[in-house]
Amino acid sequence: MQPPKRIARGLLTDAERPVGFRFNGRRLMGVAGDTLASALLANGIRLVGRSFKYHRPRGIVTAGPEEPSALVDLLGAAGREPNIRATTLPLHEGLIAESPNCWPSVRFDLGALNDRIARFLPAGFYYKTFMAPGWAWERIYEPLIRRAAGLGRLEAIVGRKAGPAETVHEHTDVLVVGAGAAGLAAAHRLSQCGLRVLLVEQDSVSGGGTLLDPRWTDWRAARDAALAGAPAVSRLRRTAVIGAYGHGVFGALQTLSAEESALFGGLRERLRIIRAKRVLLATGAIERLIAFPGNDIPGVMLAGAALDFVRRYGVAVGSRPVFFVNNDPAYEALFALTEAGVRCAAVIDVRASSHAADRARALGIEVRSGALVTAVRGRGSVRAVSIAGRDGAGRAEIEADCLLMSGGHSPATMLATQLGAAARWQESIAAFSADLAPSIGCIAGAANGIFGIAAAARDGEQAADAIALQMGCEAGRADPAVAAPELPPDPATTPLEALWEVRGRGKAFADLQNDVTTDDVRLACREGYAHAEHMKRFTTLSMAADQGRIGGLVGSAVLAQARGLPIAEVGLTKPRPFVEPIAFAALAGGEVREHFKPKRRLPLDAWHTAAGASFVATGLWLRPLVYAREPGWDPVLKEARAVRRAVGITDVSTLGKIDMQGPDAARFLDFVYANTFSTLAVGRARYGIMLREDGMLLDDGTTSRLGPEHFVVTTTTANSAAVLEHLEFQRQSAGARFDVLLADVGDQWAQFALAGPRAREVLAAVVSDLDLSNRAFPFMAAGAATIAGVAGRLYRISFSGELAYEVGVPATLAQQVWTALLDAGRPFGIVPYGLDALNTLRIEKGHVTGAELNGNTSAEDLGMGSMLKASGDFVGRALAQRPGMRAPERLQLVGVRPTQASRRLRNGAQLVAPAAVSSSLGYVTSSTPAVESAGWVGLALLAGGRQSIGRRLIAASPIHDESTEVEIVSPRHLDPENTRVRA
Amino acid sequence: MSAPEAASLGRCCVDIVDVAAYRGRAQQLSDAARAHGVTLPTFGRIAAGHSRLTLCVRPERWLLLTPPAAAGAAAADWQRHCAGAGAAVDLSSGLAVLYLEGPAMREMLARGCRLDLDPAMFPRGHAAATIVAQVSIILAALGPGLMLLTPATTAMHLNEWLESAARGFGPLAHTNLSMADLIGRAQQ
Repeated sequence: MQPPKRIARGLLTDAERPVGFRFNGRRLMGVAGDTLASALLANGIRLVGRSFKYHRPRGIVTAGPEEPSALVDLLGAAGREPNIRATTLPLHEGLIAESPNCWPSVRFDLGALNDRIARFLPAGFYYKTFMAPGWAWERIYEPLIRRAAGLGRLEAIVGRKAGPAETVHEHTDVLVVGAGAAGLAAAHRLSQCGLRVLLVEQDSVSGGGTLLDPRWTDWRAARDAALAGAPAVSRLRRTAVIGAYGHGVFGALQTLSAEESALFGGLRERLRIIRAKRVLLATGAIERLIAFPGNDIPGVMLAGAALDFVRRYGVAVGSRPVFFVNNDPAYEALFALTEAGVRCAAVIDVRASSHAADRARALGIEVRSGALVTAVRGRGSVRAVSIAGRDGAGRAEIEADCLLMSGGHSPATMLATQLGAAARWQESIAAFSADLAPSIGCIAGAANGIFGIAAAARDGEQAADAIALQMGCEAGRADPAVAAPELPPDPATTPLEALWEVRGRGKAFADLQNDVTTDDVRLACREGYAHAEHMKRFTTLSMAADQGRIGGLVGSAVLAQARGLPIAEVGLTKPRPFVEPIAFAALAGGEVREHFKPKRRLPLDAWHTAAGASFVATGLWLRPLVYAREPGWDPVLKEARAVRRAVGITDVSTLGKIDMQGPDAARFLDFVYANTFSTLAVGRARYGIMLREDGMLLDDGTTSRLGPEHFVVTTTTANSAAVLEHLEFQRQSAGARFDVLLADVGDQWAQFALAGPRAREVLAAVVSDLDLSNRAFPFMAAGAATIAGVAGRLYRISFSGELAYEVGVPATLAQQVWTALLDAGRPFGIVPYGLDALNTLRIEKGHVTGAELNGNTSAEDLGMGSMLKASGDFVGRALAQRPGMRAPERLQLVGVRPTQASRRLRNGAQLVAPAAVSSSLGYVTSSTPAVESAGWVGLALLAGGRQSIGRRLIAASPIHDESTEVEIVSPRHLDPENTRVRA
Repeated sequence: MSAPEAASLGRCCVDIVDVAAYRGRAQQLSDAARAHGVTLPTFGRIAAGHSRLTLCVRPERWLLLTPPAAAGAAAADWQRHCAGAGAAVDLSSGLAVLYLEGPAMREMLARGCRLDLDPAMFPRGHAAATIVAQVSIILAALGPGLMLLTPATTAMHLNEWLESAARGFGPLAHTNLSMADLIGRAQQ
C-alpha cells in the first residue's frame, strides 16, 4: 500500500470538500483548492504524459506556470482543449483530462520506439535525412513527422465554438507585476505616494514566496488589507502579463474565477491591455533544472515544487525523496517535508559545505557534500538514484521514489528583456539579471537577483521610492498601522556553486518540453550553429511554449562550455511575447462573428426591412439588394424595368459626402481632381475623377457648386473614408496654399435617386419652390430646394442613364420625404429599387464602380484620358504621364455581349482568343442580364480593348466550366448619345 | 426586485453645428462667437452655456449643441455669425448624441475605449475624439456622466455594443434626454 500523500493542511485546500474528477478514464478524488497537478500527486499519479519527440514518460516537474511537462488535454462542454498546464489548472467537480501524444495509452505508447532509435534522430535529422525526392517532403515526410511529433492536437479544437472573450483597457501610473514580497511592499509604498497602482499577480492568491513561509503570514495579511483599502490601487489576480510592448503598453491575460465567469456570461479569459507610465517588475525567480542522465523521469522534480505542493496543497510529492542541490534556498523544501513527517533519503549537495547542510544534519538528515547524482533508475517513475563524489569516488545507489533537484534560481527577466533591458551576468547567483532604464521602471526582489524574502521586500520598497522620485512624488512614508509586523529575518545562506550538467550515459535534458538534450546543444555547436540564437533554431531549445524557463540557461551554459567561452558572452536566447501561451480567441476578444466589424445602417433601415428588402453587406453598410426574398434575376429586372419605363427610387445615402468651403475651395478642387472645377458655375454639378499620387484612379463622383466658395463633393460608397482622408491629407500637407475647410456630411444627408422618364413629374408633385423644366433645371443642375416641406438639395445627375434627380435631405427627416416621393410616384408606377437593379442599370450605361475603379486602372484605361486637364498641377499628374500608363496594350474598358443571347456572362471570366485559349487578354469586371433586350451585357478590362471593338473572343470561366463566345462592344450599351438624361 | 443598473443611456435630441475657422482666423471667429454670447472653449474642452454646449476636439473647430429647431436654421445662423472668419455646417442629423451615466460607465467603455477616463485624468469639462468599438466617437466628461457623439449611421451599432459591454454589471437603462437635461447634468 502506498503511504498517504496528503500529509498536511494546505494553505489553499479544504480537505473537508472532496472534488471528483477523471484522468485518462480513471475516476479520482481531490479536494477543493487543488490544481490538477496536486490532485494527481495526491493520488500517487506520476506519469502524466509522453514527451514531444521521443515519447518518453513524463510527469510533473514544477508547481506553477513554468511547467514544461505536465500538459494535458482538457475535455469540457466546449470540446477538447489541448496543452493545458496541470500545475495551474484549478480542479473542479467533473473535470476530465487526458494525456496527449500517446497511443494506445500513456503507459504503453508505441511512439516510444523513437526513444530506442534516438541515436538516429539527432536535432535537425529530418532536414538532412528527408531530402530526396524533393516532392516527398510536403506530401510524405512532413505530414508523417508532424503526426509523430508534438503534444496536443490543434485539430481537436477546430469547429469548437469559441467561448465569449473580451478586451479591457487599463491605465495606471505604475504597473507592479508580481504580488510577492517585493511586489506587495512596492505597491503599498507607491500607493502611499498618491500614485495609481495596478498590482497584477498570475497566482490565484497574492504573496508569492511569503505563502511558503508561515512566519510571513501577518506581514502579508497587513499588506493585503492596506492595499484593499487604498482607493488608487487596483489588484488583479489570476492575471499573467503576457508581453511588454514598449511605450508603457503591456498585455495581460486574466483567467476568471468560476463565480466571475458566471456573472460575465461564461467568459473565461479576459485580455487586458495595460498602459502604464512606469513598470515595477517583481516577477520573482525561477528555479533551474540540472542536466543529468534521466533528469526527465517522472518523479524528478524541482525542489521548490515539492515545497509548493506541501505548503499550498498539503501534498507530499514522495515518501522517500532524494535532493540534488547546489544552493541553500532549495533546502526549504527539505525542511518543510521533514516538518510534515516525510523521511528524506539523502541530500546530495555539490558544495563542500553550507549553512543549510548544517541545519539539515542537525535534523538528522544525511547530507552528502561534494557529491553528484550521476544517473536515475526507473522508467515510469524514479526507483533509485546513483551518486558519486565530484572526484568520481564513493559511487553508491540510494533507493528513492523521487528526486528533487535545484540548480539555482534565475531572475524572471522575460518582460524586462522585451523592454530592451540588457542582461547582466551575476556570478554570485550564477544567472543573468536585467537593468531597466529608469524612464521605463524598476526591477525588484528576486527578479532583480535579490534573494531572501525580507531582502526582496526591502528591495521592493526601494524600487518604489526610486519610481516615485522619478515621477516627481515624495517617497512613501512608513505607515505605522501596517509597518507594525517586523520583517522576519532571512536565514543565513551560503552562496551557490554553479552546476549545469552531470555528464554520463543516457539523455540529459535541457529543454523538457521540446525534448532537447545537452548533446543536441553540443551537436549544434559542432555543426556551426554556435551563436545562442542559431543553437536555439537548430535544436529548438527554448522554442516551446515555456520558452526554456527552467532549462534555457543550462543550454546556454553547455553551449558556452562547448565554445570555451564564459556564459556571459554566450547569453540567453531572446524571449518573445507571449510570455505565457494565449489562445487566439482571447486575442480576438469580443470582435468576432457578428461583432467582427461595425454595421452602418441607412437612415431608412427600418423602412427597407419592412418593405421586404434582402440586405447585402458592402463595406460596413447593410444595403437593400432587392425588394424581394426569392432568389434570381426576375425581381431585379422588374425593378430595373420600372426605372427604364416609368420611374424608380433608390436609397443612395451610402455615398460619401464632403462639404467643402473656403476662399480656395475651387482651387483646391482643381488640385485634387484631374479635371477642372474652378470653371463650374454656381448651381451646377460636374463629374470628376481623382487620382492617387501614383497616377492611378482613386475615385469618381459628382461635385456641385452651391455657392462661390461652397461645394459638395460626393464619393463612391466604398471609398468614402479613403477619399476624406486623402483630401484632408492634401489639405494639410499642401501647407498654406489652400484656405479650405472640409466637413464629413455623409451621415448628415440622406440621399435618394429618383430615376426614370417620369421622374420629373413625380418630383414636381413634391417640390414647390423650383422650376424643374429642362431650361430652368437642366441636366447637371444643382441647388437648394424644398422637397415635401423639407429644406434639402436637388441634383440633376444620373447613374442609371435615365432622366434622374438625386434628392438630399437631412437624415432625420428622410422618412417623410421618402414616403412623400413614393406617394407622389404611385400614379406613375414608382417602385423602390435595390443595389442589384442599380448595378444592372449602370452596367448597361457603362458607368464604372469599384469593380473597374480597382486601384490598377488609369483614367486612360477607363476611357477618361481626355478629362485630365492639360495645364495646371493636380495630384497624380506627374506619374499619370508615365509612358506605360498610356500604353495601348494596357487593359482598357470595353463592353462585352455574348454572341448567343441564351448564354450568360460571369464576373471574373477570362477573355481569351479562340486560337490561344491559355493566355488571358483580360477579364469581365461586371455583368448583368440586359433590362429591355434579351441576353447579358457586361463590362470588361481588355488588353488594347478600344482597338478591339467588334472582335470576337471567348469568355472562359473554368470554375463554372463555361466558355462563352462574346463580342467586344462599346461599354455604352445603352443610349450612347446620352439623350435620355437630358430629356 | 430588479438588479441594480450598470448605467443608463440617454438619447439626446439636439441640433449640432460644426463651426470651423479659416486659416489664421480663429481669433476673429472666437470674437464673432463671443459677440453672439458664446465663448468657444479651448482644445479638448467642453463648456456649458445657458442653453447650449460647445466643445472642441479638432484644432480651430468647434461643435455647438443647441435645442432642436427648424432643420438647418442654427447652421444658417452661425454661417452668418462667422462673418467670413469661418464656415458652419449642419450636423444635426449626422451625429447621434448619447449620454451615459451610472456606476459601471467607465468599466463598460474600457472594453473598447483606449483613453484613460479616470476622473483624475479626464475630469469634468474635458472632451476628446477617439475610437470606441471600431467607430469614431467624441467623448466629453459632462457632469456626472459621459456624453458620446457618434456618426448617426453607427449609433445603433454603438448602442448594441454598450448593451454587451454592460453584461456582468447589470442592465442598461434607456432614457430620452433634452438639451435642458444635458445642461442640468453639466451643472450637477
